[in-house]
Amino acid sequence: MLLVVLAIGFVASLRSPLFLTHSNILQVLEGSVIYFVMACGSALLVIGGGLDFSVGATFTLGGLVTAKLLASGVPVPFAILIGLSICVVVGAVNYCVITYWHVPPIIATLGVFYVLVGVTTQLTDGLDVVPLPYEFELLAQSSVAGIPNTVIFAVLAGLATWFLLEHTAFGVNIRALGGNRGAAIGNGLPVARLDFAVYAAAAITAGAAGILYASRVGSGQVNAGGATSTLMVITAVLIGGVSLLGGLGSIQGVAIGSVLLSLIDNALVLTRVPPTYNSIIIGAILVGAVALDHLRRVRLYRRR
Amino acid sequence: MSEPVLELRHVQKFFGSVSALVDMSLTAFPGEMHAIVGDNGAGKSTAIKIITGIHNADEGEVHFLGEPLPQRRSASHLTDHGIAVVYQDLALVECLDIATNLSLGRLPKRFGILDRKRMRREASTVLADLKVRVTDVSTPVGLLSGGQRQIIAIARAVRLDKPLMLLDEPTAALGVQETAHVGEIIDELKPKGKAIVCVSHDIDFVFQRADRITVLRLGRTVGTRRVTDTTRSEIIGMITGAIGPDTDGAPA
Repeated sequence: MLLVVLAIGFVASLRSPLFLTHSNILQVLEGSVIYFVMACGSALLVIGGGLDFSVGATFTLGGLVTAKLLASGVPVPFAILIGLSICVVVGAVNYCVITYWHVPPIIATLGVFYVLVGVTTQLTDGLDVVPLPYEFELLAQSSVAGIPNTVIFAVLAGLATWFLLEHTAFGVNIRALGGNRGAAIGNGLPVARLDFAVYAAAAITAGAAGILYASRVGSGQVNAGGATSTLMVITAVLIGGVSLLGGLGSIQGVAIGSVLLSLIDNALVLTRVPPTYNSIIIGAILVGAVALDHLRRVRLYRRR
Repeated sequence: MSEPVLELRHVQKFFGSVSALVDMSLTAFPGEMHAIVGDNGAGKSTAIKIITGIHNADEGEVHFLGEPLPQRRSASHLTDHGIAVVYQDLALVECLDIATNLSLGRLPKRFGILDRKRMRREASTVLADLKVRVTDVSTPVGLLSGGQRQIIAIARAVRLDKPLMLLDEPTAALGVQETAHVGEIIDELKPKGKAIVCVSHDIDFVFQRADRITVLRLGRTVGTRRVTDTTRSEIIGMITGAIGPDTDGAPA
């Protein structure tokens, strides 16, 4: 996957002198950070054997709730904290519908997605929330040593997720859960707690990304996120090498997957390829990535 | 004779109108391997599930080390109580490596951080103790052969160091050499006072390694024999029904 990124970068830099400039590279990174932050939690979830189609709507909800609170004078840290807590509730709802009503994850979270779209529209009467306090906008709009804050947040989110996944018992247990649920139960892992944790994680990072987005654009937007976000995030996770069936995948891969999505967009614009090709290329890469995952699983999960 | 480790007394289990176990009794002693044999549908799987707590007995009692086993036990409760289980499906996670699988449920930590070094070191020690030749404990379990996986699953149970080890069809997927290896591991557990209860189809394996055999037929204990006091033809007769049940169904 890294080779694909480098290859696209190489071709693009041959065809457009603008590609390798400092500002363009930053633009590619900035284009990917929101999706990557969302993808961090979703990657944990998919590795743990789950799936969440509601993240796009959770993104909207997190941004809107925080924006509403800010607009009514709640201090920035509290507004963010409450916004994230609401997202944990969404994760809990997903978990409960899947666990107690035995609704398959894809349907349960799709249902929650629709409900949330309705809720966010009701909440705001379909109007964007403006204006937001200056300190809040600074969060995402300022930069440190020329590196935009959003990129720094994404790197921190990525590092935290990587640490959780690779260097804690929690991470290994998530992998075990997604890799072989029966074995996880047979070995006495706290399956219910892990399930809850991964759905909460997916919802929290979705909400965090929504808040980051609200800060960047300076308003709580009703039409931000949605189905496009959900699909982009799941695409980033899958082309990043996370197995849809659970167990396999890394955050490094998801980071590359997120950059790749933004890179394709950028490279096509710079090389003056019509934008319609964008989705054709992404679709092809997605299908290719999942086909490769199948080969990997056949090798690993064959009965011998 | 020493105190029994595991005792099932007249256990019954029904699924609706279907009786899976009509009357099962079994007494397993420390330092012995106790085999449960029987044809398909005799109730072997149900018996395992009742001991592991996946099902509760409708009637009868299950005693472990003299105490009744509580109903509805999870896998971690079972381990805490002192029972190590090797499930027929092995309960290994294919995408995780050997070392991680051996530590699953009890991952070593240092200051809250996963201690991979210690995990690998301990895995190598456990496998060396059991004379398992594995090139690298960081090989994913999914890449191992069926026999190697079985040994890894048994190694994990041995490592728990519990008074009772429950094995479900441990040799079903194994070749001659691997079966012998499993037998050797069992033989080394006996002098340590461990009780091994083993469900098996493999009559050769049972006669080589078991001390007692309990035969199940149509959900009933037909009888229990010491291996030294019985013959293959008697056991097979009990399995097929050619030899009827002992009058009281109680273990010998």
